[in-house]
Formats: sequence, C-alpha cells, structure tokens
Amino acid sequence: MKFLAGTRAFIAVALKELLHLWRDRRILMLIIFLPPVFTLLLGHAFEQGPLRNVPAILVDQDRSAASRKFSTLLRSSEVFNLRPLTVGTENHIELSANNLAASIIIPRGWEKGLHDGEPIPLELVLDGADGNTAPEIQGAVQAILEEYQSKALESMIDSLPEEVFDLGRHLPVSVRKDFSSSMSPWAVKTSILYNPDLKFIHFVMPGIVGLILQLFTVTLTACSISRERETGTLTQLQVTPIHKSAIIIGKVLPYLGIALCVEAMLFFLGQQHFHVAYRNPLLLFGLSFVFLLSTSGLGALVSSFSRTQTQAIQYSVFFLLPVFLLSGAFAPLSQLPLGVRIFSYVFPLTYFCHACREINLYGGGTTRVIWDLLLLSLGALLTCSIAAYRLRAVEV
Amino acid sequence: MKTTEIRKLVSPSTFTQRIDRPTSRGDKPPLLALDGLVKRYGRTIAVDNLSLNLQEGEVFGFLGPNGAGKTSTIRMLCGLARSNAGSGTVLGFDIWNERFEIRSRLGYVPQQFSLYSDLTLLENLWFFASLYGVSMRWADYRIRTLLAQLDLFPYRQVRAGHLSGGFKQLLAIGCAILHKPALLVLDEPTSGLDPCNRQTIWNLLYQLSQEGTTIFVTTHYMDEADRCTKVGLLYSGKLLAIGSPAQLKECLVNHVLDFEVDPLIAAQASMRDLPGVFGTRLRGGKIRLLARDPRNLVAELRKHWPFPALAWHAYEFGVPDMDDVFEAYRCGILVAELESKEV
Repeated sequence: MKFLAGTRAFIAVALKELLHLWRDRRILMLIIFLPPVFTLLLGHAFEQGPLRNVPAILVDQDRSAASRKFSTLLRSSEVFNLRPLTVGTENHIELSANNLAASIIIPRGWEKGLHDGEPIPLELVLDGADGNTAPEIQGAVQAILEEYQSKALESMIDSLPEEVFDLGRHLPVSVRKDFSSSMSPWAVKTSILYNPDLKFIHFVMPGIVGLILQLFTVTLTACSISRERETGTLTQLQVTPIHKSAIIIGKVLPYLGIALCVEAMLFFLGQQHFHVAYRNPLLLFGLSFVFLLSTSGLGALVSSFSRTQTQAIQYSVFFLLPVFLLSGAFAPLSQLPLGVRIFSYVFPLTYFCHACREINLYGGGTTRVIWDLLLLSLGALLTCSIAAYRLRAVEV
Repeated sequence: MKTTEIRKLVSPSTFTQRIDRPTSRGDKPPLLALDGLVKRYGRTIAVDNLSLNLQEGEVFGFLGPNGAGKTSTIRMLCGLARSNAGSGTVLGFDIWNERFEIRSRLGYVPQQFSLYSDLTLLENLWFFASLYGVSMRWADYRIRTLLAQLDLFPYRQVRAGHLSGGFKQLLAIGCAILHKPALLVLDEPTSGLDPCNRQTIWNLLYQLSQEGTTIFVTTHYMDEADRCTKVGLLYSGKLLAIGSPAQLKECLVNHVLDFEVDPLIAAQASMRDLPGVFGTRLRGGKIRLLARDPRNLVAELRKHWPFPALAWHAYEFGVPDMDDVFEAYRCGILVAELESKEV
C-alpha cells in the first residue's frame, strides 16, 4: 500500500513535469527540433573528403621540359588550386598575405640535376598553423612527385639502347631478378575491416548523438529541480509525505523518456541520411537507457549544488565543456595522453561512445560492453542517490 | 506590588510566563508539544529554548517581529530542519524521527507563494492530492467542495500565476488542507493582503478550526493576534509569553495611559524618556504611555510638568490592546538590558 502511494506520488511528479514542458512550448520546440539540426550540421562537419583545391602557387624557376611536365601533372591532380601572386615577389612569397596554403618551387637547375644523377629537392613552403593540413599537402606533393618519377622511369626503360639489354643478359639470373624487383614499385595490399569505406561519420555518430542528449538531459534535469528550489515549491513538496527519492525519480524519468525518443529519432536520421548501420538495437536501447539515466542523475546532482536555475546552468556548462575533448566523442581516446585520459572515465559519454562503437562498428555483443553497462548503471545509481540525499541538505 | 508584577512581566525570559489556565480538555494529550527547542545557524541562535503546548482545535497566533525565529520554529515543526536541542511531538509523533508520519497529518502554507504558477488551479490541487495520497474518488469530491468553499470554482482552469494575491493565498491554503490535516501551519498568510482578503482568510481559518483543525499561524499584525484563542510572543528566538489575548492584555490594564498633548509628534519623542515609562506611541490622536506605575507618574507630572513646549490637556487610563502587550514585552527586554549594564 505504501509502495503504491509512493508510485502514485512519483508518477504525479513526472506528469507534472511533462505538463510544465507542455506549457513552456519554446523549450519543447528546442528539444524536438534542435537535436536533428545539430546532428545534420555536426555530421556533415565531420565528413572528411579528399584534399582538394588547396590554394597554392607554383614557381617554376627552372623553366625546362621536366619542370613543365611536372607542373602539368600538378595541375591535373586537382589537389591544388594554382594561383598567381597578388602581393610580393616570387623571391619572397608571403603565404598568408596571398591567402595561400603552400608554395611549390621548382629550383633552377632541377632538370639538369635529374640528368646529372644529383637530383635537387623541390622546395615546398607550407602554412603550418593548422597542424593537420600541412602534412597532408606534403603527402600530396610527394605522391605527385612519385608519379612523375615512375613515369620518368618507364620512359627511361623504354628508351634504353639494345646494348644495355644485351649486357643484362650476361648477368646472373638472381641479380637480374633483384634488379627488376627493385625497379617496380613495391606495394601493400590493404584490407580494411569494421569501417571499410573509412567514413569518419560511422565513428563519430555516437559522439554527436551522445553529446547532444547529454547536454539536454543534464541541463533540463538540473534546471527543473533548481527551479523548484528557486520558487519555493521544493519546500512545499518536502512537507508532503512523498519521499525524496520519489521526487528525484519523478524528475528524472520524464526527461529520460523524452531523451530516449529523441535518440531514436537521431539514430533514424543517421541511418537514413548518413547510412550509419545499427547492429543490435536492443542492446543499444539498454545502453542508451543507462547512459541517459546517469546523465539525468548528473543533472540532478548539479542541481543539488545550486540554489538557482542560473547557478545550475553555469555548473552544467563547466561540467559539459571538458566532455567535448575528453570523452573521445570526436577523436579516439587512445590519442589522449594517459594523465589526461584518467579524467575521461569520469564522463558517462566516454562509456557510451566506447560501447556504441563496440556494438555498431565491431558488432560486439553484451559481453564486449558489459563493463560500460555496469559502470554507467553504477554512475546512475550514485548520482541519483547523492542527489536525493542532498535534496534536503541545501536549505533555501 | 505593581512593580514586582511588571518586573515579572518584563524580565527577560529566563522563564516563560504562562498565563494559560488548564483547559477543560486538559487531561487529553496535547496535539502539539514542543520542549526546549533550540535552533542555531552558525553563531546566531534563531530559536532559544522554546517550549509550547497546543490542544486540539486551538487557533494559535505566533507573534514576533521579522527575524524573531518564527519561520525557523515552523521549519522544525514541519521536519524541514532539525533542532540543535530539545524535542517536540505532533499528535504524539516526534517532529524529526517520525516526520513522515506527521507530514500526512499536517498542512503547511509557506510565507511566499509556492505553488506552480504555470499550472491551473485544478492541476495544482490534483497534484498535491496525489502527493498526499488522497484517493482519486475522494480527491475529486474534495477538490470540488474546496473550490466552492474558497469561491475559486470560476477560476479552476486559470493558471495559478494569473491569480491575484488573495486568491493565490486561498489556493495555497486549499492545497494544504486537501488531506484534512489535524494541524494547519500558516506562515504569515495575510502579509501583503488587503483587509478584505485578510477577513476572507480568517473566516476560512475559523471554519477550519470549527471542523476540528488546529491552526498554527504566524503574523506580525497585532490586530490578527486578537483573533486567536491563544497567542505566543516570540522575540529574538525567545518565547516571552503565552496565553489568550484577553489574559495577556489583562496584565497591562493598569499600566496604559492615554494623554491628550499638543503637539503630538514632539510629545511622543519627549515623553518616552520619562522615568518609569517603557514606551510611547500614537494611538487615536492621543499619546499612549506604557508605564511601570501610572498613578505615581500622573501625580509626579501634576506636580511638575517638565515639557514647557507641550500643552497637556487631559489623560485617562486606556484599554490595552495587543500592540501594548507586544510593546511591553519588547521594552521589557530593553529595560532588562539597561539594568544588567548598571549592575
């Protein structure tokens, strides 16, 4: 009987919470429309295409047949958008003033060096401000140069005089084989597992969805409790026979339910728009449930340290900021230094992202994600119970 | 004899003066019994050794200025805060250890409006009915009758935030009495309301009292104290006196003088400093004096009128009201402090 009364009380709190949301349509609209928009934006933002249209300048100081051949190759590759100089002289090129990412200089005597057996290196000047693009450009130039070299090699072999081949026939077979092997490019045969198209979206989708949902659940739960403290209604709740834990459960459940619906919507969007596949929906649901329970619990915990809604929002922001980098949502956790990675394991999103990838990319079953599930459940239990305990401790 | 009596009256409350006689229901256990409650916030003592008994059906007025410790006492009573010392029971249940038992039998109307402004009256009432565990069918009937009783029925679909101050307070009381509590605690229910609304609320409280609910109401309107069956005076966390308004006023009958003096404002300031005078205030175009020994004072003044700037027309013994009672106790503390300094 007592249990029944308690159930009715927390259902009453949950219904009231939904009623608040229904009355405050703006928040409801935000909850429904913002997550898909964010998912689309972030999803496309993380799409990594091949390197194209890099603004660059090609300075041909050699003006030889070889340099012209190389520049034709460079132009046909579509990696570079070759532009003329607008500021300065070719002897001293200011990259940023000309809005260039690279300048490629074919030095004087380049062709001569190639023919004399003493090749001079090409000069490549790069804008290193963005540490990711510079090495990529370097790689692209290297690849074009290799292509040029292999073509030169072919034409050289084609144009070799017959005497050379006659001479070669006198060499031992093993030497000839070694020679021909070293003349052909050596290759690696790669097979890519789990994400064969190397689409980053498959990796980053759980991060995007988890981040958005975490933002919503933490701030909404935190605000809904601290709002009651601010307006004094929490005191009114506390003089009724309802138990503190029933208040917390009643507060957490509606936002958890809404977040689950939003998550289903986002995953559907990811499937339709980004062609992200989901392997084990049931396990994914279980994972999402404990993840959202722990983030809502975190929201409740945040609210127990704040007297007003403003404070609740401020605390949530401080908590949510490091999550972007530390949770491994957008970059593999293994890239983080060990000392920093320890802090990653504070955030529920870390476990969610890991487990989600285990399930969707690696096709892992319950056994692969059991620790994530357990730790998330533990987190949910801890945050909710501390929040319930502290509900009394903060007096107005 | 008079001096000792007033001394007893004005001495700081090392003891609480009890003028309440044993009631006819004296053998029944008290509905509310507080024994030596102490509440400290850091170094400040909000409630100091407070003891209080209330019988069923009483309307208890808890008087005191702002910061006297009224709300702290109520918070302890409702199990929202734990006392640092002392104990208390409501309906025989301990106010801290058995607070959940008490809560289903207690209604609390806090000082500030604490219902959900974005929910309608009906939604607010239904919500609290569910929290108090009022059965669905009974709640439906109860809410209908309450809305009719409080004259709120036409507004049942209006959001609580759109109500006027008086209606808000009525709704707050409505939410607190849904479960027919044995004890209804109201923290300054009439502050900021117009006289008409105050009357409505007091009528409601009387009606509840007649239905058997014990009322515990704080106020700092002295005229409201007159409407209670029992009054407690709280000052700086100490309960200075407790009794019915008539009993409290009786003590002052021979200590209140009304002077007709011109000009009034100057007189009020000057006469305050007369020896043996506790306080002066303006009342009905006269100066009201609280004096230790009024007859002696009048005789002295007849002999020698020390205020050449003031014209004394007449005097009479006044009928004390609750303001006088409160003033006497407030000044009593001041007197006691002065005396202790002299020693």
